[in-house]
Amino acid sequence: MDYFEPKTVTEALALLAQYGAEAKVIAGGTDVMVDIKYKEEPGCLVNIKKIPGLGSIQENGGSLRVGPLVTIRDIETSSIVRERLGVFWDSCHQFASLQIRNTATVGGNICRASPSGETLAPLLVLEAKAKLAFADGEKTEGFNSFFQGPGKTTLGYKGLLTEIEIPYPPNGSRGIYLKHAVRGAMDIAMVGVAVLVTPDAAKNGLQDVRIGLGAVAPTPIRATKTEALLRGKPLNAALVKEAAAMAASESSPISDQRSSAENRRWIVEALTRRGLQQSWQAATGKEVV
Amino acid sequence: MSLTINTTINGKSVSGSAEASTSLLEFLRDTLEYKGTKLCCNTGECGACTIIYNGKPINSCVTMAADANGAQITTIEGLADGDKLHPVQQAFIDTGAVQCGYCTPGYIISVKALLDRTTQPTPDDIEEAVSGNICRCTGYTKIVDAIQLAADKMAGRS
Amino acid sequence: MAKAEYTVLGTSIPRQGGVERVIGAGIYGIDLALKDELHGGILRSQYAHAKIVSIDTSEAKKVPGVHAVVTAADAPDVRYGRTYIDRYMLAKNKVRYMGDPVAAVAADSPAIVKQALKKIKVVYEPLPVVIDQEEAMKPDAPTLHEDMPLPKNLPEGVKVKNVCSYTPVHVGDPDKAMAEADVVVDEVYETKMIHPQYLEPRIAAAQVEPDGRITVWANAQAPFGVRTDVARLLGVPLNKVRVLSTELGGGFGGKASGITSGAAIEPICALLAVKAKRPVMIVLDKAEETISTTIRSGAKMYIKTGVKKDGTIVARQGKVVYDAGAYSGFGAMAGARCTNMLGGWYLMPNCHIDGYVVYTNKQVCGPVRGPGGPQAAFAVESHMDSIAAKLGMDPVEFRLKNTPKPGDKIIGVPKLRDVSLGETIKTAAEKVGWGKVKLEKNQGIGLATGSWIESAGPGGGAVVKVNEDGSVTVHIGKIDMGTAPRFGIPLIAAEELGVPVNDVTVVNVDTDASPWDAGTVGSRAIIVSGTATKLAAIDARNQIFKMAASQLEASPDDLEIKDKQIRVKGTPSKSVPLATIATNAHNIIGEVIGRGYCDNVAMMAEEKARGSSQPFTAHACIVEVDTNTGNVKILKYVAVHDIGFPIHPVAVEGQIEGATAMSIGQALCEQVVFDNNGRTMNPSFVDYLMPTINMMPRIETTLVHGYPGAGPYGAKGAGEIACVPPMAAIANAIYNATGVRITKLPLSPENVLRALKEAGKA
Repeated sequence: MDYFEPKTVTEALALLAQYGAEAKVIAGGTDVMVDIKYKEEPGCLVNIKKIPGLGSIQENGGSLRVGPLVTIRDIETSSIVRERLGVFWDSCHQFASLQIRNTATVGGNICRASPSGETLAPLLVLEAKAKLAFADGEKTEGFNSFFQGPGKTTLGYKGLLTEIEIPYPPNGSRGIYLKHAVRGAMDIAMVGVAVLVTPDAAKNGLQDVRIGLGAVAPTPIRATKTEALLRGKPLNAALVKEAAAMAASESSPISDQRSSAENRRWIVEALTRRGLQQSWQAATGKEVV
Repeated sequence: MSLTINTTINGKSVSGSAEASTSLLEFLRDTLEYKGTKLCCNTGECGACTIIYNGKPINSCVTMAADANGAQITTIEGLADGDKLHPVQQAFIDTGAVQCGYCTPGYIISVKALLDRTTQPTPDDIEEAVSGNICRCTGYTKIVDAIQLAADKMAGRS
Repeated sequence: MAKAEYTVLGTSIPRQGGVERVIGAGIYGIDLALKDELHGGILRSQYAHAKIVSIDTSEAKKVPGVHAVVTAADAPDVRYGRTYIDRYMLAKNKVRYMGDPVAAVAADSPAIVKQALKKIKVVYEPLPVVIDQEEAMKPDAPTLHEDMPLPKNLPEGVKVKNVCSYTPVHVGDPDKAMAEADVVVDEVYETKMIHPQYLEPRIAAAQVEPDGRITVWANAQAPFGVRTDVARLLGVPLNKVRVLSTELGGGFGGKASGITSGAAIEPICALLAVKAKRPVMIVLDKAEETISTTIRSGAKMYIKTGVKKDGTIVARQGKVVYDAGAYSGFGAMAGARCTNMLGGWYLMPNCHIDGYVVYTNKQVCGPVRGPGGPQAAFAVESHMDSIAAKLGMDPVEFRLKNTPKPGDKIIGVPKLRDVSLGETIKTAAEKVGWGKVKLEKNQGIGLATGSWIESAGPGGGAVVKVNEDGSVTVHIGKIDMGTAPRFGIPLIAAEELGVPVNDVTVVNVDTDASPWDAGTVGSRAIIVSGTATKLAAIDARNQIFKMAASQLEASPDDLEIKDKQIRVKGTPSKSVPLATIATNAHNIIGEVIGRGYCDNVAMMAEEKARGSSQPFTAHACIVEVDTNTGNVKILKYVAVHDIGFPIHPVAVEGQIEGATAMSIGQALCEQVVFDNNGRTMNPSFVDYLMPTINMMPRIETTLVHGYPGAGPYGAKGAGEIACVPPMAAIANAIYNATGVRITKLPLSPENVLRALKEAGKA
């Protein structure tokens, strides 16, 4: 296995262009090291941790710019993330063990594109944008089109994620990320539900709502029909119940050793309901009745 | 492909060679013969391989040996002061938190890292610090006792 | 605090061997490195059931850096096993589960081993696979062992297949009594396979010495069993095999090679060392362990009980179908225990239970921490609550009503001596707040009891040497994995020899020098090695007194040892240092060396005559059920135990807390999951979920006293019994919280949610 520690993004991209499918990018290593040991050694390992400028969190007016090498722990200990992007903070707070959080990176979690990746549904709901670098230029892509399948993103073999930009949600919004597991943060999520609500001025209904579902489809998804059902209507228990059932129907989970598909749908329903109730309460101080 | 690793372990400059695919755990145990950090799940799930890396507790089994270059690493071997055990080590003995002892080095490192962060850990702090350390022998009760005893001793509260 | 009449017994000294463990010394099997060693690896079956048509190792042998490749053809045609001698160390003709070893390689590096294993060409003829033990029993099931007979004691007319053991329990006239019962409850319970998942991987290392003997290093619980297996399977006499034990990073009955035909890697390693003519070390990967080494079996249990209106139990009928796995291993013994224990440990005047232990194409049953007991207790103790509910009786009162008294008999035990069951129940109820604590919505309280008779079977010895300086070296045949050998055993030697505990060293097992021992299993360490050490220390002490008597001009009966001085009782000025006598021994008897053996036959006879002094326990807990997701949180957990006289109280608590946690794991999150082809779907820790601290309650342990056991000074074995009650305690609490009785483990969120939905409660 060849090994490189490129010092610039350009250098890294040249390596990816050269090795193509044979190359694997490694940041924290908590996933890639396991692959190397138990699946295949790639032809070339590209360690991007020596590239400067990829590890910072910076405010940029109405958004936050997060470098791909920012660790999950960095996010967890960032007060700005906790205050302004609570749903993203939530997912990092429920992300495996402290040891893993100290090493795993936001970029790694995103590029791994596991359907159950903890940060993915939250970033989808926050309508984050990914800055992708290729040998022939850069582009910015919304997270809603970035994920293409389990383990697949529009980076392909030759692209590098160089930044994540997360716009702050509208004032008054509140969000929550609920993870379904047996052992809490320690497990891979059986289901992940990210909810972001923006109450209307009267605090009667939802001016906007965004629901992201993880581990119940080939990629993280937005429950768009459910969002449409909820938007602009007064929020009450009956509507929440209906929305939760619709979110479950928008999911297409599989059965595996962690859970049956049936159970995953039950949990989508339960956690969507709970997510709406808790975010609404956090945003308005009122309970859903 | 063989790499040269120059690192600092327990305050001492150390060099060795490793493959790119070698984990930091393998580098410690097999190349440098530091047997204190233990191998168990090899997938970052159990914490037996926990070391302190630039001040942070991490799983060495899913870290590259190459990433040890230029890093400051603390392993269990670096805690005792000659014959004098570190208070965390002593607390684990005193409370009966050591049965088979295999998880113990990983725990002690995680706890040392915790007590470096705070001298008065809350139950939530303790849970955060060691949720990633599995013990199969003790059922955790006496480990919690050990952590509280170590915290008290180090802060002069006992 | 030490009990008044003892100097050190009853004090929780810091564990001997604690310093090495907290500084990370390289003392475990996995830390070994032999000079000039090769790495070994095992090729395991790709099918759960198949004929082996051919094995071609020629390409593998050509890989540079490979020194040996072995298959069954390279070993004598000898099998091993426990109940049935049904297993080859490397599969011959057939494979019967996916972890079955088929070939092994010794090479210069793990990478080359991996390469070579890939080049071994095995041609299989797949056969139908049977995963479920009830399916495997049916007459049309595939046959797993063509040449293993059905048990001779199967009743006439019973048409079954793949049964390797049958245990009938029959007392009184259960049909009549059941027909006359006021209330009958009929249920079915099921538990799943779990893996002991000790943290330190299993290793074996072997080298052929210049004189041709084979030295084997093993992190095994039964070093003498390993010696037996290696000698037998390689066809060499026992004196040509030496087994050295390393320290163990956990075992729990899963590293019990030699006690069961579970997963003997030591003979494979020895064979590689012989063929390669170099030392070889095999280190298993944890994921490899889950698929191949010994496990706690699943059990299906049918249980029907008749009671009178007033709550008196009058009859039980039942059936146990116990999963042996691919080979008989420990299945028969565990299945027999499970069957007997399905009769419960309450008064049971009439009882009929049939227990079948059945081969399936899965991992093999080992003597995993209380084998058979936790499964039976899940059924029995859940069922007790179901009966109480049907009667409208408080579950604690119902149990107390049926609790035996001294002199009573229970299933499998003709006479009980003292019975602590009632006290443990009442104490657990009080500690958990039974009937008092205010429960919120979806919270529930549950209690379950248990008993566990320390395993019968051969015992073991001890040799106690008093060195010239008065320090003491103790040799026993049991190893240190965190149980009695370095907790209570040093206390016993120190107590009987009047020396400070720190002057006592318990050394590790070397089969050339240590006294024979059946193995560190069965809650036997304090009983067997403790008794043997006590007798050996007394023997040594008698030798010392005999030599000192003449010097002190007294009779040996008038002497005592305290603080390393031998002195005349009542005249402390008349004394001589222990070191002096021990040194002078060179000229008189050679050395002070005491010998003791735990006479198991006598112990069993005494238990029979005086009545069983088995330990009892009651656990209780409060849980909160999230009825939207099925998650169960344990809010409070109490474990009340009678362990006789606790020689080292902290060690005893540690065993209770650890065993409780293991069964909380079985209750809430652990199971080995299979697909229809017999492939383990969750071999690694990513998906084999063990309890982590964030989901565990504090386990509050209480010991009750006054019920001396068969062990030394009235001790009872503590290693396994706390595994028995937790699953039912939690299931009962869930029932109390939700009104839903869940009869299948694990009580995972999915299984709980499904049960709630089926009952219309979610």
